[in-house]
Amino acid sequence: MDNNKRAMVDRRGFLKLTGVGLSGLILQPSEQAFASAPGEDEVAILYDASECIGCRDCERACKECNNLPTEPVPPSDLSAITWNLIKQRKGVDQSDWPFFNDQCMHCTDAACVMVCPTGALYKDKKGFVAVDEDKCNGCGYCTQFCPFSVPDLKDVNLITGKAKVGKCIFCCQNQPQEGVGRVACVEACPTGALTLGWREDQLEVARDRVAQLKADGHSKAMLYGESEAGGLHRLSILLDEPSAYGLPVDPQGPITLSRVWQKIIQPLGEIALGATILGVIGAFFVTRRNIRMEEVE
Amino acid sequence: MTVRLKGTERDVVTIRWIPKYTTIVRLGHWLHTVTFVPLAITGLILYTPLFQSLAQGEAGLFVRLAHRIAAVLFGLLPILYFIIEPRRFIMSIQEFMFDRDDIGWVMNAFSYYLLGRHGVMPPQGRFNTGEKMNGLIMCVTWVVLGVTGLLMWFGKGVISPGLFHWMVLIHDVAMIVAVCMFLVHLYLAVAHPLMWAGLVSMRFGVTSAAYAAEHHARWYYGPKRARQLYEEARKKAAEASH
Repeated sequence: MDNNKRAMVDRRGFLKLTGVGLSGLILQPSEQAFASAPGEDEVAILYDASECIGCRDCERACKECNNLPTEPVPPSDLSAITWNLIKQRKGVDQSDWPFFNDQCMHCTDAACVMVCPTGALYKDKKGFVAVDEDKCNGCGYCTQFCPFSVPDLKDVNLITGKAKVGKCIFCCQNQPQEGVGRVACVEACPTGALTLGWREDQLEVARDRVAQLKADGHSKAMLYGESEAGGLHRLSILLDEPSAYGLPVDPQGPITLSRVWQKIIQPLGEIALGATILGVIGAFFVTRRNIRMEEVE
Repeated sequence: MTVRLKGTERDVVTIRWIPKYTTIVRLGHWLHTVTFVPLAITGLILYTPLFQSLAQGEAGLFVRLAHRIAAVLFGLLPILYFIIEPRRFIMSIQEFMFDRDDIGWVMNAFSYYLLGRHGVMPPQGRFNTGEKMNGLIMCVTWVVLGVTGLLMWFGKGVISPGLFHWMVLIHDVAMIVAVCMFLVHLYLAVAHPLMWAGLVSMRFGVTSAAYAAEHHARWYYGPKRARQLYEEARKKAAEASH
């Protein structure tokens, strides 16, 4: 009787421990958690399309600073080895500020960070999205979930899956712990179309500039990035609709799906697995109590 | 086949064995298991942040490669079986079809398999309802995992990002369903006292006549006789309860 009682307690204790252990593992805070709004001590690049002359100094500086090889043919889009690119705006003639500097938008709600299963893509405390290449396993989820199609894979082997991600890392090798820091494309810009500063200050400057452009007759002038994707850390002053620059009007779609995947389906899957394991263990003990092996056939 | 166990004349146990699975079927089952286990483990490493450190860098590359190799083998095995034994493949699918007895089995299964109450179970064919459910889920998830997996492998830059997102979500859900079903299947096959014969028959290809008569009566006796025995047993049970 005593032995049975002890066995019961042990069994209960075992089940409790297993339950607590599994719950703890399932509910542990995800490292991929993201901020829902930009912080006050975050930085941002402000790009003013009305000041850009398309000289491509930003492209060259980016390549040099990050030791990126040149493309075999002039690229038409960002890639794993082209992180900064001057593009032409659609539907305007050459005289009407046709240029657009494309680079990673460093979203606050970064879909690439949410879907990265390795933590290779992460949010820096200054707000930009950095890459730890050593952690990347080349899965390429980031390339598919980014609403701006920025991350890209290099050294791809389609059969084995070997690859590494490449994208703008905000020149993080040059970033001091304190202060605004330095970014190669900004430092190379001869016209001041690209500037770096605290995000809050940049927003104020951008709002004033948009108001000024509107007063000068550019009725479509707008600031892109204040709230898109939770707030971008690459703000853009545009002279036309975002679609004219190849930018999504609402980049939220892939971000919402990333969130559903990471915050709902993934934990639910873990709970389902944990519950199945606990259920099977529980069923084992219940069955063993009710059905004696020696009584079976 | 008859096996006589050691003992006195009174204790002698005689088991009559009857064939249940062919060598090809058993080989296919075990090869499928051998490929499913690494497929599920590598998939879980890539799926859950709990194992994030194993998914990183060179280790992650190896995990992804192992996942792909296991996936190809796991995907090809049923096709290979269909090529080798097309007639038996189709016959097996017919045996996996659900009928009205499956409802009765489901309603009694909990008290029978968990609580050991030997109520009257509707007669089952060579595969009982639980095995049919496992088979159905494995077939559906095999197709879903295969299609979504191939699109995730070769579809980057080919299919639209929107479609790719759904492939990832569906692949994950199918994986969870398949792994949960596998865990239940594993428990029933290895640790459940009333299911011991399942593992024996999948290992040696035979099952005991007594077990077949109790658990797979429609296969053992034939549908007519099994139904007759079932009705008689139900009548007896009803009388006993009065």
